[in-house]
Amino acid sequence: MPDVDPDRIRMMAEAARVPLRADAPARIARAVAPTVTRFGAEKLALALETEPSTFAVVQRREIEP
Amino acid sequence: MNERAVSATTDPAMLTLGEAAAAIRDRKLSSVELTAALLERIKAWQPKINAFVRIEADSALELARACDAALARGDIKGPLHGVPLAHKDMYYSAGKPAGCGSKVREGWIAPATSTAVARLEAAGSFRLGALHMAEFAYGPTGHNPYLGHARNPWDSERITGGSSSGSGAAVAARLVPAALGSDTGGSIRLPAHFCGVTGFKPTYGRVSRANAMPLSFTLDTVGPLARSADDCALVMQAIAGPDPLDPTSTGAPAWNGDVAGGSPGALKIGVPTGFYVDDLEADVANALDAALTTLRSLGAHIVKVDLPDQTAVAAAALIVLAVEATAAHAPWLRERADDYGMQVRARLENGLAYSAVEYLEALRWRGPALAAHLEAIGDVDVIIAPASRAAAPTIAETDMGGGPNAEATIVAITRFMRPVNYLGVPSLVVPAGRSQGGMPIGLQLVGRPFRDERLIALGRAFQAATGHHLAVPVLSS
Repeated sequence: MPDVDPDRIRMMAEAARVPLRADAPARIARAVAPTVTRFGAEKLALALETEPSTFAVVQRREIEP
Repeated sequence: MNERAVSATTDPAMLTLGEAAAAIRDRKLSSVELTAALLERIKAWQPKINAFVRIEADSALELARACDAALARGDIKGPLHGVPLAHKDMYYSAGKPAGCGSKVREGWIAPATSTAVARLEAAGSFRLGALHMAEFAYGPTGHNPYLGHARNPWDSERITGGSSSGSGAAVAARLVPAALGSDTGGSIRLPAHFCGVTGFKPTYGRVSRANAMPLSFTLDTVGPLARSADDCALVMQAIAGPDPLDPTSTGAPAWNGDVAGGSPGALKIGVPTGFYVDDLEADVANALDAALTTLRSLGAHIVKVDLPDQTAVAAAALIVLAVEATAAHAPWLRERADDYGMQVRARLENGLAYSAVEYLEALRWRGPALAAHLEAIGDVDVIIAPASRAAAPTIAETDMGGGPNAEATIVAITRFMRPVNYLGVPSLVVPAGRSQGGMPIGLQLVGRPFRDERLIALGRAFQAATGHHLAVPVLSS
């Protein structure tokens, strides 16, 4: 499962240059863990060619002539 | 106008958007009379529900007089001529403040007008003021520690839902006939459900988001809250369609009023199993059952549908929302984080935790996830689902200090919202009954991409058969 421990969050916040209170990394880790875990469990294996705009291609097939 | 509309001209505030516009056009009501009636009602309700952040009485009356003078000359600007509206305080109007529900943007003056508002004004409406919202549209309840919380017109101890809190409350209390909201994770649909109004989240890309405050550029949609599906259609007729200022709207079809205003026909309606129907409170489950009976009587063919796992879709939506919102707010988080409310600051900080790969996988999966959704529903036209598992909880139950269950209650509120935003599909929330405690219950009619008009047609038929949308809250002393 993906690592969502407070140390990772502290490092990511530093990389983003966003200061956090001392207790924030632990709180954030608790808050995001279910989402990260659920998304990771999906074990996505997307085709190499898939990109964000693939969404528009799928969506626009539904436009009625 | 129907009989109800004619008699309602004794209190113009009770008219729907369509009725008010028709009454002005037919010279049965002046724009000044309508504006004055709404201002009178706002004066009575505002202290109770905090729906407005600014009331622009003098300028509104001046604009109303100009509309009446134009009409006297035979100059009708458009189908909404002379109707005052107010919108969530994130729709920019050039030269006017747009605080976006925040201390951070206090006093900020918008340099340009949002396309949606410009189009409504081109149709003849004008501005009555600006409406309450959750801070930066990043909250599902209507809490706002900076502005004071919005309060539900049906019970002022209960939440309005958010983030279009003022839009839901103002339309429910008949302070405006319609209002723009925005929906990134339920922000039109939740206030519609909790306040007992009709709310429409269009297909992603159907309405320009230009010069409206962004929260998540992948998920943000612009749409109306109004008293009926009919009134939502009037707003959509004005605002839908391509806009060179918003590339996501390029290629979007123009609004088809014939489909929206016609019979829905014999639609195939899917009832999802599992995710959307497990663990509903009895009032909501009963409203869903009653709605299915009504839809059958209207000729709909009801079938069960097994959707792909919606918890994975919701997780992807949350990652996209969190990262995009945090990236947008990063400059302020670096310099003035203390100016955010506690709840919104915590949500923005959560967005720091996702990796670039997680974000981009969530973004890239959107197309395949929509394809899987469409394959699962086959030829189903509309999915019916609850908007939330229960009617409005209290403000105290969903406050940060509301005890250990507060966060769980907030998560439960948004459960049925996020997949719709991630898939970019349209959803209409219609009032569908009341809880034992008398609070409104709404249901979602979720459509296929760009088939927005069919949802409106179905919503119109449902409302003609049920009348749930006609209930009006009473101002208690």
